Amino acid sequence: MSDTTNRRANFSNLPENVLNRNHVISIKPTTAKKLTIKNLKSEPKLPDDYREQTWKKLKNAVLAIQQSKPNEDSLEELYQAVENLCHHKMAPTLYQRLHSLTDKHVAHNIEQFLAESMDRYLFLKKMNETWQAHCRQMIMIRSIFLFLDRTYILQSHISSIWDMGLELFGKYILLNTLVQTRVVEGLLMLIEKERQGDQVDRSLLKSLLRMLTDLQIYDKAFEQKFLQATERLYAAEGQRLMQELEVPEYLAHVDKRILEENERVLHYLDPGTKYQLIHTVEKQLLREHVTQILQKGLDQLLSEFRLDDLSLLYNLLSRVKNGLIELCSSFNAYIKKRGRTIVIDPQKDKTMVQELLDFKDAMDNVVVTCFHKHERFSNSLKEAFENFINQRTNKPAELIAKFVDSKLRAGNKEATEEELERLLDKIMVLFRFIHGKDVFEAFYKKDLAKRLLVGKSASVDAEKSMLSKLKQECGGGFTSKLEGMFKDMELSKDINQAFKQHVTVNSRDLPQIEMTVSILTMGYWPTYQPMDVHLPDHMVRLQDIFKEFYLSKHSGRKLQWQPTLGYCVVKAQFRSGLKELVVSLFQTLVLVLFNDCDYISFDYIKDVTNIEDGELRRTLQSLACGKARVLLKNPKGRDVQDEDHFRFNADFTNKLFRIKINQIQMKETTEEQKATEERVFQDRQYQIDAAIVRIMKMRKTLSHNLLISELYLQLKFPVKPADLKKRIESLIDRDYMERDKDNPNQYNYVA
Amino acid sequence: MKVTIKQWTGVASWKWVANDDNCGICRMPFDGCCPDCKLPGDDCPLVWGQCSHCFHMHCIVKWLQSQPVNQQCPMCRQEWKFNNK
Ligand SMILES: [Zn+2]
Ligand SMILES: [Zn+2]
Ligand SMILES: [Zn+2]
Repeated sequence: MSDTTNRRANFSNLPENVLNRNHVISIKPTTAKKLTIKNLKSEPKLPDDYREQTWKKLKNAVLAIQQSKPNEDSLEELYQAVENLCHHKMAPTLYQRLHSLTDKHVAHNIEQFLAESMDRYLFLKKMNETWQAHCRQMIMIRSIFLFLDRTYILQSHISSIWDMGLELFGKYILLNTLVQTRVVEGLLMLIEKERQGDQVDRSLLKSLLRMLTDLQIYDKAFEQKFLQATERLYAAEGQRLMQELEVPEYLAHVDKRILEENERVLHYLDPGTKYQLIHTVEKQLLREHVTQILQKGLDQLLSEFRLDDLSLLYNLLSRVKNGLIELCSSFNAYIKKRGRTIVIDPQKDKTMVQELLDFKDAMDNVVVTCFHKHERFSNSLKEAFENFINQRTNKPAELIAKFVDSKLRAGNKEATEEELERLLDKIMVLFRFIHGKDVFEAFYKKDLAKRLLVGKSASVDAEKSMLSKLKQECGGGFTSKLEGMFKDMELSKDINQAFKQHVTVNSRDLPQIEMTVSILTMGYWPTYQPMDVHLPDHMVRLQDIFKEFYLSKHSGRKLQWQPTLGYCVVKAQFRSGLKELVVSLFQTLVLVLFNDCDYISFDYIKDVTNIEDGELRRTLQSLACGKARVLLKNPKGRDVQDEDHFRFNADFTNKLFRIKINQIQMKETTEEQKATEERVFQDRQYQIDAAIVRIMKMRKTLSHNLLISELYLQLKFPVKPADLKKRIESLIDRDYMERDKDNPNQYNYVA
Repeated sequence: MKVTIKQWTGVASWKWVANDDNCGICRMPFDGCCPDCKLPGDDCPLVWGQCSHCFHMHCIVKWLQSQPVNQQCPMCRQEWKFNNK
């Protein structure tokens, strides 16, 4: 501690007017000037015994102060006396005599502190009283000897009166080993009591600690021992409470402890102790237990979304070295573990996407609210999501696609446009994590096709918005086919309008059916199984007319009908009245059969319509066993058997005029799923081939490793090196490229 | 009549009528487009020669431009003439 700070610390016990040393110095020149003038004029003569008389007066005053007795002479008089003596070269003697007076007095004071059995608290109190008295006395003495302090003492670089007092106080009292030990141990005891929750006399602590500082023994005599005691206490407390308390309680306790220790600094410790003190507490209560705190408590806090506790955890761990790094890696591990349970279990597929969204929301919220949006945490969150979501291949991509479908499909009225938009944005965040984006595309495309072809899309705006999001995320190549599908729908609209005009102009006794056709460009749409069903003559005729019309506009093409995707509005006459039924083409084909017969067998229907067996059973089920039973099945039962017969249900009733009878969807069977996945796989093969040919065409010759690394740059889906090798072999077999004759690790392009 | 059809929304897909699956020039399938295009369909049409061979329009045009003297079909080496059927 430097001399100046030490001196400044002295002032704690001085009244305000004596305090300002700067002020004292600033008035010095004036005093000096006055002196010089006086000296020039005349040298006053003194009575012979003036010096001794005057000293006696001063000595009595000092003794009176030391014994707390009233002074006979006024302060003014005494001050003047000191000044006079100084003018008569008495200053050194004066200083010496004052020193010895003080020395005697302080030396005498030690006695009371050496008694064997004194209560520690009383001891401290006594010490404080003695110290306070000492300070008071020295201030008064100094104000009498102020002239001496400002002239002789200042010029001769000896201890000021105040410092002299301190030196003597230190020398006789606190440098006594026994006394010092008692003082320090007493202080430590008081602090420990306070840490245990007792009320203690803080002003006593403060005063005595200031005393140690003033005597320049705070560091050596007290601080070290205090920090050691702190370390011992909190080391034990940390061990114990980590066992006894739940993590949130433990954190709250640590928080309280740090607050308390800070207050301790504020109230009575030297500010210089703060850093080490708080550091010690943090080390013993936090640093030592970070791993255990995280292992024992983080999962619980996160799974119960205890935001306040998480904020506290973050704030506390940010205080210790590597605390946040460890918190972050545990956070990451939690997300991976929890996330995996969401995606890995096929039982939970139905709720997977919603759970993922909720989970992402919750973790985002934690990062924003509790982790100060710290970049390390938000990046780690992303990494963890990407990691776990891809632990199950294909399924998350498929389910995200289906989830989007459910939200974009007509009849989804749970959300406003803005809500839907926000939801789509959130889904895009999940989508971003998916590695096999082509799997998503395949399923998304399949569902989009359904929405477009059956007119089931809820909103064109939402569809377009989703499309532009995908485009932004994956580039135009990803969405070009999807955009192509929208384009086909627009073109179809135009063709249908033209066809309508064509029909009205050439109304050769046409069937009275309003026909519209969606014309699909093969490459854009999902592949559909062609199915050859038998249509009634008038439908065949209408189809042919349309085909002829279309091909007349588009030469070089051929049309393939896709009966599985067609649907109709049919008018049906029941006893209760006329109804309009919205039904699939297959349902239509079955229904029209009842125009000619009343009661028909399954076999007959199958024969006449040529609908595939499973498809037909589902169709009949939807008409005879569903909610709107326009057919009656004999015998009754949920499943359609070979021997079943059907009858038109003339007694059918329904509140509505227009009734939609849903075709019972083939449950997204594993077959269909596999088929889509298979198509994705095929498409990947094709893309790999195309990429290899593109690269080889440009480079002409390339080593195996370079080719592979270029491929990894271009391919947007996960692929194993062995698969790439297979494709290369296949292209060599098909003469697109060849192995170099001299270097088997090198390929040449074959033009 | 118990049941009459009022409206019918059909679906049909179109394909090029080509005598091969792949374009003889770029070797890409006709269901797709030529290497310079992104999307199949009207923007990357097929054309037929009088020799009855067919190619992506973009492919045969490029081919013909690279053959300033004899404008031949790359498949059968007959003189190339567009078949405007
Ligand atoms: Zn081509
Ligand atoms: Zn093209
Ligand atoms: Zn030819």
